[in-house]
Amino acid sequence: MSLNYEEMSWSDVRDQFRKWREESGRHSEDVVQLWVAVLEDKVHKTGNERHLILEQVIVAALDTARFDIATKCTKQLSAEFPGSLRVMKFKAMRLEALEQYDAANEVLDAIIEKDETNAAPRKRKIAIMKARGLRLDAIKELNAYLKKFMSDQEAWQELCNLYLAEGEFGKAAFCMEEVLLHNPHSHLIHQRLADIRYTMGGVENIEIARTYYSQAIKLNPHNLRALYGLFLCCSYLANSKAVSLKRKESQKLAQWALEQAMEHTARHSSIDNNDKWIASLDSAFGNLEIKSN
Amino acid sequence: MGSKFLNKLLLIAGFASLAHAAFSAAHHRTYLRLTEQEWTSLPLDIILQTVISLVVVVYNIIQIVGNFKEIRATVDMQQKTWDTLGNFPSFYTFNHRGRALSPGYKPPRLNEPDAQQ
Repeated sequence: MSLNYEEMSWSDVRDQFRKWREESGRHSEDVVQLWVAVLEDKVHKTGNERHLILEQVIVAALDTARFDIATKCTKQLSAEFPGSLRVMKFKAMRLEALEQYDAANEVLDAIIEKDETNAAPRKRKIAIMKARGLRLDAIKELNAYLKKFMSDQEAWQELCNLYLAEGEFGKAAFCMEEVLLHNPHSHLIHQRLADIRYTMGGVENIEIARTYYSQAIKLNPHNLRALYGLFLCCSYLANSKAVSLKRKESQKLAQWALEQAMEHTARHSSIDNNDKWIASLDSAFGNLEIKSN
Repeated sequence: MGSKFLNKLLLIAGFASLAHAAFSAAHHRTYLRLTEQEWTSLPLDIILQTVISLVVVVYNIIQIVGNFKEIRATVDMQQKTWDTLGNFPSFYTFNHRGRALSPGYKPPRLNEPDAQQ
């Protein structure tokens, strides 16, 4: 925690909260602490943003099991918007955090009955299944959800994570491709898809992974993970039983990726005499190399 | 902050000068009508004043309104990390070990006999 509460004014905190909201960082503990230390008394000054801040604090408070704060903020919101489905959702989330899952499900069902197009309570129901450890049911439910709300990127990514947890890499890759169609310019999605393909293994998948890693590097030349992934893919392909021309090409690409990665790490390294350390590590690993007969 | 104030000042001056140019043009027309001369074109000083004050206004508005956004789509993405992109607020689950750090946390009661004593 690098923030100093004493020196932050309420407008600094508001800007910090806004930044976290926009990039969807979790930071639950920081949010709760800043709320208690600074913003709680000044929240009326934030104008229209107040409701968003309250929602953010409720989620953060539930995440850190500070039910007193969550209840207080929910009361403020429900006094302002009586009967709002959005506020009802927070009541369901509170029950969920208290592990009263059946009661939470009842509230969520009531919300869905009132407004069938509301996506948020359906997502919460899936989150409850996840919390209960019913991963297969969550996958089934999420598939049903995605048939209705096909353009929900978050849900596709979540389904990908669930499949990954189940070890179903092929299906996870399909979900990630779906997300990729939504943001073709995101190097992280390319990198993630390549990670999945590389994990699947086999020459064909690793060739696909190499392509996605290359695209990720093209979109962001500073992506170190993609550079390292490209290096791993290429060195795998260079040692495979492919045509010798292909193997040579892979070797060259691996060399290039390694050089790029070394350049980046050398620039950002804060260790003195980095080269010396690396040289000694290199020789140490060289001695460790297993010689197969 | 200082340059922003200067920009605002220049913007006001630019608008005033633009209004003044329009007023001068109208004035010129009435003068021509009163002296019964043929209309050819506006005098050079009014045209110059209009163009210069327009440029001043455009430049200062751009300076005041805010920063330009990057035109290349990938640059915005380069700043992001998987830590934030792979985080989905609508699928949060709350039954994680972090809640044990909360001041009001009560550990679950164990069923073992020595824990109940």
